[in-house]
Amino acid sequence: VSKRKILATRAALTLTPSAVNRIRSLLEDKPEYLGLKVGVRTRGCNGMTYTLDFTKQKDQADEEVLQDGVRVFIEKKAQLTLLGTEMDFVESKLSSEFVFNNPNIKGTCGCGESFNM
Amino acid sequence: QPILLRCPQRSQPLYTDFSRLSSTSAEEEPAESSPVEEKVYLSASCVQRLEEIMDKGEYLRIQVEGGGCSGFQYKFIVDSTRNEDDRVFEQGGVGIIVDQDSLEFVKGSTLDYTQELIRSSFQMLKNPQADHGCSCGTSFSVKLGVSA
Repeated sequence: VSKRKILATRAALTLTPSAVNRIRSLLEDKPEYLGLKVGVRTRGCNGMTYTLDFTKQKDQADEEVLQDGVRVFIEKKAQLTLLGTEMDFVESKLSSEFVFNNPNIKGTCGCGESFNM
Repeated sequence: QPILLRCPQRSQPLYTDFSRLSSTSAEEEPAESSPVEEKVYLSASCVQRLEEIMDKGEYLRIQVEGGGCSGFQYKFIVDSTRNEDDRVFEQGGVGIIVDQDSLEFVKGSTLDYTQELIRSSFQMLKNPQADHGCSCGTSFSVKLGVSA
């Protein structure tokens, strides 16, 4: 019993300031939506890929992450996969995208869209 | 015996399957050999995005490189210099550059600026040379018969 480790509770998902700003601006003119929902799907050349959608309500099994006033929900299926992940938004002239820095994954596809665990 | 009975049963559908296969492949062949115009098309969203991000004298360069999970991958660069073997495709006041070697792999395809919630980026669509690509669209494999 004494071997039980005590771990600090952390948010399942952390957002970088640029991700917070982007989500806030996405939701600004859409008051009907509560936040964004992150999920994973089996697709792509390396097993899994992330999905992102607007959501109107919190499902019972969803994990809610509230940071700096924006809400992101994690689908039940994706909660273990995403644990400890940092969600970033990277913008350049040629592309702009949400990037998930996930400590749980083993490898990614060349483009970084698809990953395996 | 059950095994003896199964063998002749199985052989029959096999024959019909084979004849169906050979007839479809014969139909597809003429479509593949139709000539492809040496051109890259720009979609409306691509033209609009290029107008927003490009300064005067700047072009979007498309390069094809070996790499990615399917063999070849597209690379997009902002470039203001034009080399001798470059081809320029202009549309609506904006232009893209493709060098002659890369053009062999991308001719006939459409450059699009795809906007999704999770990501917005330039993508090559409907490439007649590409067999199947990676899900993200940056990597592709080349159909047999296309000369490098």
